[in-house]
Amino acid sequence: MNEDKPGALQALRGLGKGLATTAKTLARPAHTRQYPHVEPDLPERSHGVIALLEENCTSCMLCARECPDWCIYIDSHKETLEPTTEGGRARQHNVLDRFDIDFSLCMYCGICIEVCPFDALFWAPDFAYAEGDIRNLLHEKPKLGTWMERVPDATLPEGYARPGAETPAQDADGPVGVTEPSVGEAGSSAEGTDAGDTSSREVEE
Amino acid sequence: MTSRDVLFAAVGLITAAAAVLAVTNRRVLHAGLWLVVSLGGLAGCYLVLGAELVALVQLLVYVGAVVVLVLFALMLTRSGGGEVDTSPAHRWLAAGVGAGMTVLLGGALVAAYGWDTREVAGPGNEHIGEEIFGTWVWPFELLSLLLLAALVTAVAVATTGHSRDRAA
Amino acid sequence: MDLPLAVEIILKAVVVLAAFLTLPLAIGQTEHKVMAHMQGRLGPMEAGPHGIAQLVADGIKFVQKEDVTPASADRWVFKLAPAVALIPYLVALAAIPWSAAWVAADVPASLLLVLAVTSVGVFGTLMAGWGSGNKYSLVGGMRAGAQLVSYELPMVLAAASVAMAAGSLSLTGIAQAWSWWWLIWQLPGALVFLVAAVAELQRVPFDSPLADSEVVFGPYTEYTGLRFAFFLLAEYAGIVVMSLLFTVLFLGGWSGPWSDTLGPLWTLLKAALVAILILWLRIAWPRVREDQLQRLAWLVLLPLALVQLALTGVGVVVWG
Repeated sequence: MNEDKPGALQALRGLGKGLATTAKTLARPAHTRQYPHVEPDLPERSHGVIALLEENCTSCMLCARECPDWCIYIDSHKETLEPTTEGGRARQHNVLDRFDIDFSLCMYCGICIEVCPFDALFWAPDFAYAEGDIRNLLHEKPKLGTWMERVPDATLPEGYARPGAETPAQDADGPVGVTEPSVGEAGSSAEGTDAGDTSSREVEE
Repeated sequence: MTSRDVLFAAVGLITAAAAVLAVTNRRVLHAGLWLVVSLGGLAGCYLVLGAELVALVQLLVYVGAVVVLVLFALMLTRSGGGEVDTSPAHRWLAAGVGAGMTVLLGGALVAAYGWDTREVAGPGNEHIGEEIFGTWVWPFELLSLLLLAALVTAVAVATTGHSRDRAA
Repeated sequence: MDLPLAVEIILKAVVVLAAFLTLPLAIGQTEHKVMAHMQGRLGPMEAGPHGIAQLVADGIKFVQKEDVTPASADRWVFKLAPAVALIPYLVALAAIPWSAAWVAADVPASLLLVLAVTSVGVFGTLMAGWGSGNKYSLVGGMRAGAQLVSYELPMVLAAASVAMAAGSLSLTGIAQAWSWWWLIWQLPGALVFLVAAVAELQRVPFDSPLADSEVVFGPYTEYTGLRFAFFLLAEYAGIVVMSLLFTVLFLGGWSGPWSDTLGPLWTLLKAALVAILILWLRIAWPRVREDQLQRLAWLVLLPLALVQLALTGVGVVVWG
């Protein structure tokens, strides 16, 4: 018995302390939040779900490429814009046909949001989108757009107005709030690597 | 036949049957559990006969402590599950001794009290207490001394073994 | 009040059975809630207002579960064990008086009866430990056996001290002989009895037979469904019996203001406080190691109980 053992008095004091601590906690209100009955008080920048601001997306595919588990599916086609000035060059731009995120695969790493050069993807605090069937977790662009509602104002791009709010003076066609790099350049560079086919990703159906 | 007779016969039958099962069972742990039933039944017999103090002490000491120790030892040595097989000679010998004892005890009881029924009128708890701690106090104290000696010896045996181990 | 004997017996049996089925549930619910709030939680909230029907819901769940008997189990031993654990407490509850008039089975040596039948309850645990055919169950059963035998002795000695002070083996007689200064006179005995009672119930801090981090759930590991529920019921019925017994032996049972009319309520109140204390220990204290547990029984409780016996003897001779 060479170990440093607490004496009987110390042990008793320790036991008393245990009783006192628990009794004190009993007297204080509990920390529990009654979640389904009471909405949780989340910080506004909570990483709940990934929202899509569709008009900012240029189908550049960066997010889909960077996604570690390949859960973003993008389809788009090219449309030609007639030159706006006399003698100008016709421009091509991408039109987004499909932007799906499969939340059954998504691991909420947020890389897609980080890499998006056009501020088209955002963290939204919504979290209650569980489904009974795993296939229903593949959310399409209208659904991804609805989550924009609760994206905190501070993270929104400058000059972006929520639908319903008074619209600031802004070029309706151009992507909102993005000045650098311009749409055309980024779009064409993305196209270049895709050899003209924007729906490059083989999507498993 | 009063209801007490019926009760006594029932408890006695249970006790006897459990005792037979305890002796004949091949699995030692089951035998131990039947012994519990048998000893508990015996306590019931005492209770029906009006000796409730003896009955409760029987329950507390034999069922609650002695058989628990037996079962504990069986579990500790893991010998409770295996089947025990005794030779036929052993069995016949045991049966003969058992039957002989039964006849002897039964005969002695019948010879002493005859076949007619008797009122059971044992002394009350107070009387038993007074007898033990009055008339029979010296034997009682001697018994406690015996138990104390056994206890001290057990401790001695346990500790000397330890010191030898440590020295080696 | 002259009822025919048979009617009276049946009525008493029904009342005892009802108390046996409801009081443990009340204890269990209290444990849920007290434990939760002592840990800064709310506890069950969904089944009924403030989760009042949680244990009823649990019961319904247990009934629906499959009753599994392991292949290597000792079938009958395994199946009978829950009943053996449960029934002694039912008998004990019938013999404990709530007031001088409120006692279902008024036997002369009721203290001895209660102690004797609760000691039989060990067999439920031992049978479960053996019958499950599982090494964790076996180790747990052995721990339970060793623990219950060790703590039985100080418990009986502490109870004997009170019986000696009262000059009676009847619980009713003991409670009637009680007076307030026994609180000080019998204090060591009361402490010994309380500690030994918690150990007999295999509750924290003496729950090493069930220690989940060491032996899964000890003797109850293999049990499912209703049989498992019976073991839980036995545990909480044990708390009820031990609290009532402690109340009657050391707290004067039904004595208190207006005890003629409010007697049973006083018993209930005191027993509830004791029960909450037992629950509280589970929440506040860590588990005692197996060897510490045996040391406590033989080196602390037993001498203390013997000192209490001597003290009581001197007191009885001097004042009696």
